[in-house]
Amino acid sequence: MKQIPIVVTAAIEVAVNQVLALDPDTVARLREIDGKVIAIELQGLDVALYLIPTDTGLSVFGHFEGEPDTTLRGSPVGMLRMGLAENASDSFFAGEVEISGDVELGSQFRAILDGLDIDWEEHLSHITGDVVAHRVGSFVRDAVDWGRKTLDTLGRDGAEYLQEESRDLPNRFEMEEFLAAVDTLRTDVDRLEARVERLVSRRKNKENFQ
Amino acid sequence: MNEQQDKDTTHFGYQEVPREEKVNRVAGVFHSVADKYDVMNDLMSLGIHRLWKRFTIEHSGVRAGQRVLDIAGGTGDLAAKFSRLVGDRGEVVLADINASMLSVGRERLVERGVLGNIDYVQANAECLPFADNHFDCITIAFGLRNVTDKDAALRSMYRILKPGGRLLVLEFSKPVMPGLSSVYDLYSFKLLPMMGKWVANDEESYRYLAESIRMHPPQDALKAMMETAGFERCKYFNLTGGIVALHRGYKF
Repeated sequence: MKQIPIVVTAAIEVAVNQVLALDPDTVARLREIDGKVIAIELQGLDVALYLIPTDTGLSVFGHFEGEPDTTLRGSPVGMLRMGLAENASDSFFAGEVEISGDVELGSQFRAILDGLDIDWEEHLSHITGDVVAHRVGSFVRDAVDWGRKTLDTLGRDGAEYLQEESRDLPNRFEMEEFLAAVDTLRTDVDRLEARVERLVSRRKNKENFQ
Repeated sequence: MNEQQDKDTTHFGYQEVPREEKVNRVAGVFHSVADKYDVMNDLMSLGIHRLWKRFTIEHSGVRAGQRVLDIAGGTGDLAAKFSRLVGDRGEVVLADINASMLSVGRERLVERGVLGNIDYVQANAECLPFADNHFDCITIAFGLRNVTDKDAALRSMYRILKPGGRLLVLEFSKPVMPGLSSVYDLYSFKLLPMMGKWVANDEESYRYLAESIRMHPPQDALKAMMETAGFERCKYFNLTGGIVALHRGYKF
């Protein structure tokens, strides 16, 4: 196992704790597993990170003397997918991420990081004041809302145009009718094939008699 | 080293002083630099001392619930980190022979919100006032070279460590990287006292720091001293080309 340079782990620790500082709830939940040693092994890259929750955040080490309490082992992509997936157990069943040691602790740690929820508006308000922060917050929310609605409508309108106006695409009923017709045709062909075979064998039998 | 050959005098930087006087001389240096020690550390090592200390913590194996002693831990950098790692069930003792350094360290830690599981003890490393087999880990960072009788100090540390416990000595050492020595000489004998003069207005104290670094036993000599004191599985790691070395030994 290679060791991550100490400058890098120091930088990771500072960055992680800056993000954590924005979400006091997560820091409080991390306190429940205070002092446990969580190893994260990245396969392929052949490196490990050791995370130790403390009362003020996370300590990040590239080396730890002794056994970690729990080890999460997986490829970088598998780890990322576990972080992003709605249902984390998917990656476990797919065998992408392996937990060894204290399995309960491993999933608890994962659940804590999953719950990370940063109230950007609140933190912005410390810099800009409440009014501006709220305006920026509403603007961002509205923009996101508008974007989602627009995409949704565009999708629906676009489909309708292609199906009903330009007739480039079939609509749902035509499609179902077509698929049903294909099914009928296939079974008809099957029946015809069977019939031909029967006729051929009957003919062979007649020839044998004569 | 000459302290073994001649029992009546010992070195204070490059000077020879009577043995009993070294403690007072060293105390004088640290009383005088205490409040600027932090700034000077950053300046002198270009901030790298933080990485050396981090390396020490990574190799300490300290975990929740353990008891840690940080000797000569004046500014409390290591103690603050240990206090978080051992948590509420653990205990950290910050010891320093120098009252000024201890009070500066204590003030800094309280300001950083490090309280509760940490105690402060003014103690001489040669005769540590703790019970036998008491600590899981002992660290001494940039302190051992100022101790008059290093062998006695190592024996004293060995006595109060629990079986399975470990000692970590972080100290300036002998550069091993070719070419580094000459640059390092220029730096420590010319630049360092100059910086000491400008920043801390105390050229003499910083000249002592530079000289005392040179008088400190190099890597293998210190390792042998630790083995003589009873430590096992002794090992050292050269950091930054050997300017600093971390020695680690276990008591079994």
